[in-house]
Amino acid sequence: MKAFKKIVPLAIVAAMICGCGQEDDGVRRFTVGFDADFPPYGFKDGSEYKGFDLDLARAVCERKGWTFVANPINWDAKDMEINSGSIDCIWSGFTMQGREDDYTFSSAYVDNSQVVIVKADCAISDFASLAGKVVGVQTDTPVAKALAEGGDRQDLGVTFKAIVVEPNYNQLVNELDMGAVDAVALDIGVAKRKMSDLPGKFRMLDEIVMKETYGIGFKKGNEALRDEVEAALREIAAEGVMAELACKYGIDEEALILK
Amino acid sequence: MTFWSMMQELLGGLAVSVEIFFFTLLIALPLGFPVALGRMSSNWAVSGFFRLFISIVRGTPLMLQIIFVYFAPYIFFKMPLSHYPRLLATVLAFGLNYAAYFAEIYRGGILSIDIGQREAARALGMSRRQTFLRIILPQTIKRVIPAVGNEVITLVKDTSLAFTIAVTEMFTIARQLSSAHTSMMPLIAAGAFYYAFNYLVAFAMEKLEKRLSYYG
Repeated sequence: MKAFKKIVPLAIVAAMICGCGQEDDGVRRFTVGFDADFPPYGFKDGSEYKGFDLDLARAVCERKGWTFVANPINWDAKDMEINSGSIDCIWSGFTMQGREDDYTFSSAYVDNSQVVIVKADCAISDFASLAGKVVGVQTDTPVAKALAEGGDRQDLGVTFKAIVVEPNYNQLVNELDMGAVDAVALDIGVAKRKMSDLPGKFRMLDEIVMKETYGIGFKKGNEALRDEVEAALREIAAEGVMAELACKYGIDEEALILK
Repeated sequence: MTFWSMMQELLGGLAVSVEIFFFTLLIALPLGFPVALGRMSSNWAVSGFFRLFISIVRGTPLMLQIIFVYFAPYIFFKMPLSHYPRLLATVLAFGLNYAAYFAEIYRGGILSIDIGQREAARALGMSRRQTFLRIILPQTIKRVIPAVGNEVITLVKDTSLAFTIAVTEMFTIARQLSSAHTSMMPLIAAGAFYYAFNYLVAFAMEKLEKRLSYYG
């Protein structure tokens, strides 16, 4: 009985290891790490993960004959994930600015703006009236860094009463709806998506916190994979696929850099 | 998103949660015994080792332990993790963590058995091994059921920590659906699933306790 108790867990562990090994069928796997709380770039749609970025990644895999693996990750652990080889790239509305030294990036493919949304019926009309308000941002994002002390938009950040850092935008938008925060600084694509999901609830301020660009992030030094993916991405963009996807996911076509 | 497609997705996530739950118990419930006995060993080196193990496991967050178990091969040996299943790391981390807690529960149970039981067994000529397996252990198991039940129920809810290393169990699926559809509904449904799961666990523990209460 005692020996049995020891053998069972070992056998299970062995089975799990072998079970995973079987996935190796000679076809190269391309594992895309992304934030699944980030519509319209990456999100859960039925039993699949879809979105502008994921559909692009899928198209790249089809072209290269790779097996596409969509791997939603814990956004805080993304550096560990990519450095340890658990994922091949981060393709998730991934802002390049401020991260140039940490990843090997593809060329920028989308222009992005960081905007601020507020409740439709509140008195906030511009950045000046955000003074003394509570503003929410997502953890480990360039906009969070920029608004914080020592960041590029510290001038704006210091006027706030507080900056609340949350794990994902969905939670922030819920908190905005319920009045826990007064405003949310976020990517324009996500802002538009949330406003169309909950029509009439939110309003976007005209001013822009910062402009930035999205790129695909690879492990620092992995130029070979980067070049392969980028070449395929350029072909896909040239065929108009990127513009189609932008239209499908409500992303401004003028924001596309690769066409 | 229809209600049924949401349920389907959540059930898919529940399957992963149940998998973590089941394999963790399979490792931790038996492993707790050697750890408890090691902790009670009269050899100071052995008891010291297990004392340290329990101390570290109980003294650090499970979330950190999960990260550690998954990323350790890379951090220490620069081994790429592309073939290291996330679920395996999750179950190992959970198994070690829960084994430490179970060990302390078992130790409490063993110590609670009256010394007279030991003396009587010796008077009847039983060996130490026989005394433990036939006299002490069965009584211990009976006594630790409520405390073990507590941990088992906590485990059901702790499975949501697996997303730390990107294992998409039920809570993660619920959060993703919530993000994709800007709706609280999936989270509420997930709560109902957890409750139902724990209701079953509590029911099973109660049945087990009744079966073992042979003194009335």
